[in-house]
Amino acid sequence: MKVDGHETEAAGTLLDVILALGIDLPHLCKDDNLPPIGACRTCLVEADGRIVAACHTPAAAVQEVQTRSVRAIELRQAVLRLTARMHGREPDVSGGPRSGELWAAYAAHGLERPSYPSRPRSAVDLSSPFFEFHEEPCILCGRCVVACQQLQHIGAIGIAGTATSARVTAGAAVAFAESACTACGSCVAACPTHALRPKPLRATHRPGDARGEEG
Amino acid sequence: MEKKVRSTCPFCGVGCGIVLHTRDNRITWVDDDPANPSSRGMLCVKGRFGVPFVEHPDRLTTPLIRREGRLQPATWDEALNHVAEQLLRFRGAFGSFASAKATNEDAFVQQKFVRLVMGTNNIDHCTRLCHSPSVEAMLEQLGSGATSNSYTDYEDASCLVLVGCDPGSNHPVIASRMRSALDNRGTRLVIVNPRRIDLAERADVFLQPLPGTDVALFNGLARCILDEGLEDREFIQQRTEGFAAWRAAVEEHTVEEYAGAAGVDPEALRQAARLYARPPARRGLPASERPGSCLVWGMGITQHSHGTDNARSLINLALLAGQLGRPGCGISPLRGQNNVQGCGDAGCIPDSLPGYQPYTDDAAALFEETWGAGIPRKPGMKATDMVERIASGEIRAMYIVGENPLLSEPNLAHAASLFRQLEFLVVQDLFLHETAELAHVVLPACSFAEKDGTFTNSERRVQRIRPAIPRIGQSRPDWEIIADLARRMAPRVGIDPRQFAYGSAEEVFAELARLTPQLRGMSYERLDREGGIQWPCPTPDHPGTRFLYADRFPRGLGKFVPVRQSRAAAELPDNEFPLVLNTGRVLYHWHGGTITRRVAALVEQMHEVPLAIHPRDAAELGIAEGDAVVVRSRRGRMTASAVVTDAVRPGSVFVPFVKLQESAANFLTNNVYDEPSRIPEYKVCAVRVEKKRPRPREVTGATPTAWRGT
Ligand code: SF4
Ligand code: FES
Repeated sequence: MKVDGHETEAAGTLLDVILALGIDLPHLCKDDNLPPIGACRTCLVEADGRIVAACHTPAAAVQEVQTRSVRAIELRQAVLRLTARMHGREPDVSGGPRSGELWAAYAAHGLERPSYPSRPRSAVDLSSPFFEFHEEPCILCGRCVVACQQLQHIGAIGIAGTATSARVTAGAAVAFAESACTACGSCVAACPTHALRPKPLRATHRPGDARGEEG
Repeated sequence: MEKKVRSTCPFCGVGCGIVLHTRDNRITWVDDDPANPSSRGMLCVKGRFGVPFVEHPDRLTTPLIRREGRLQPATWDEALNHVAEQLLRFRGAFGSFASAKATNEDAFVQQKFVRLVMGTNNIDHCTRLCHSPSVEAMLEQLGSGATSNSYTDYEDASCLVLVGCDPGSNHPVIASRMRSALDNRGTRLVIVNPRRIDLAERADVFLQPLPGTDVALFNGLARCILDEGLEDREFIQQRTEGFAAWRAAVEEHTVEEYAGAAGVDPEALRQAARLYARPPARRGLPASERPGSCLVWGMGITQHSHGTDNARSLINLALLAGQLGRPGCGISPLRGQNNVQGCGDAGCIPDSLPGYQPYTDDAAALFEETWGAGIPRKPGMKATDMVERIASGEIRAMYIVGENPLLSEPNLAHAASLFRQLEFLVVQDLFLHETAELAHVVLPACSFAEKDGTFTNSERRVQRIRPAIPRIGQSRPDWEIIADLARRMAPRVGIDPRQFAYGSAEEVFAELARLTPQLRGMSYERLDREGGIQWPCPTPDHPGTRFLYADRFPRGLGKFVPVRQSRAAAELPDNEFPLVLNTGRVLYHWHGGTITRRVAALVEQMHEVPLAIHPRDAAELGIAEGDAVVVRSRRGRMTASAVVTDAVRPGSVFVPFVKLQESAANFLTNNVYDEPSRIPEYKVCAVRVEKKRPRPREVTGATPTAWRGT
């Protein structure tokens, strides 16, 4: 098969082939460690003249892929803009988990960061001692849900509601600390926008002082 | 500057791959490693969020020498010269504990020092307190003391039988892999545990036996298999010996009698037997393959005064059903510490040389030739014996690396009084813990994040750790400290100091691999290129071994050993101490807690020792959820916070052995031991529980889920 004019082996999905060639393509809902979800549509490419989501299209059936055709780029720009409208403020956390993927895709597509509309989804869950959930930057890609269910087989996270009222929740809309969550952090690692983010690892405890420790 | 360093989790024996992210030499995030075949991109809360302990301000930064009764800072030269002088006085009355948290390289240099320079085989480590009965039984019956299969076999099995273990808390990533088998492949699950663990919710059969009745239970299972003709006759005939005598012993009682002794329903026992011996095929199993069952066990089997008999009864079962030596079956004693497998492999056990080689002439000759000196042939003392024999003066000096026996030994008050009698005690560790406080010299060691080395996990996979941050203070890797000390002492005992002139961990590993047949094909170069390798790996082109015993056992034939249920435990409840205490662990803390008590988030998650008690007993004692309670045994007392739950049997209470707020279960436990393994009976002793006068306390979030099982 051919990708952007390069001859290559057709193995796995189109996204696998494209990334293996070192071509940069956004894939906000596809974690390297998880099965494809196909929710975000930021990985659209042109395959034999059709527009498809690269992350869950098997490469075997395709002859020629264009990631840089005008049509593909324009569609991805539109998708990214829509995604950004869903997306609120994101903290500027460098280092840390796999992250900042939306703005990297923005830059690669020549888009300017938007100013943020006020958003109806702005819940904050600080109940876990290990990580936090800030709904504002969440783009509902579903990576955390899949990490929890299909990687760790715990199933503490789900998406409740539909359309504009859809939101990520722990358990039956309870706080993380009251759900089946075991704080393995796979969702935090999977989140592309820092909606799920670790609490700073800094703080250390001295046996003998502070809460609960009596001599 | 930002860096990412691939390494291996320092907590449990699962051995997950981690990637340490650092900025300006501080750890900022711990990522999973999807390329690691043991963890496949998973981690648990400890691996992900527990690692900052390495940067804790309590880390020891200089050697300390006791002067005028107080531990005071000293230079390395002062400290090591002092230790060298002192230890030379105690040759012949010396013992050493190695660390299952340290690397294979650390362990190897330590046992070499003890055997060569101190001239004794008195070296042991915490395997004595966890799986020594499993190892004894496996060596006796099969000829090798390791897990026979791999985690991937849990996913290929058609049935999983989990006995006396709680992977959801103690081997969380193995639990995830097991749940994936249940979800994706319809694997059957049998759980045997006196406590209803989280995974029991998913079990096809859950057996909740009376404490200490394991032999009866497993003989009962065997009897069901025999009665229904489910045994693997071909396997028994071709691969085993001792069947007839063993069968006669099992047939002394009926299934009903065994079930009655263990306090379980005979029908459930039969169902479990059928699932283990002949499970229905899991989804996706090729029709040509026989459905396999994995037998997985933990401390619930071993930590009894008849722990070795318990382990034997399990191995008998595996031989009977022929569930060994194929993909998707096998036996797995789940290893606790990150490197408890490797510490034993590298020779830190009193009864054999590295690679479990005996002190016979041909095996020892290779070592003597390489090391250029004789080594003692008399088996050394086991860890628990070294401690007990301080009293008689047989042990007068000890060198303890990376262990805190004053949290991990049974009957802590008794153990502390013994350690105080030592004439010279050296402790080498990260923190000034309970044992270090009694030491004459304390040596600061590096953590896993500051050094090179290898850990061997529960599936025999040797994996690299690599330095991610600079050494804290003047701390040094364990092997380097011991080698330095050895060079100072060697000439005085007629040993060539060049025997300890290692320039790197890699050089140590090369010597270990050369002397140990099952590691001989490994090198850092291979481990770096290919990732972790599972032993046995005898040659450089050998890919490593996924499962053992495909066509023979190391001892030839597998051996059935008749076992009969003896007294359930050395100490049973009576009027004065009417409840049975069972100990174990929790997801959010690591063993005694020396490490995890120093991680703020983990302490926030669980800051008091919980005591699980059945609603019936709680009602009788007037205890409600969250009440502070006092627990007493004949040996000591502790306080805990009550969790009222029917996950424990009436008449039993469960307490994890982590020490929080000065409370630790090992003040209560009983220092009686199994023969021949000498493991203490942590799992059963008699206690009395009463409500403490209530006082206001701070409340955190809900009970953590891996403890929902309470
Ligand atoms: S399962 Fe064990 S090895 Fe894996 S992250 Fe947790 S403690 Fe570390
Ligand atoms: S990455 Fe393909 S749809 Fe999200």
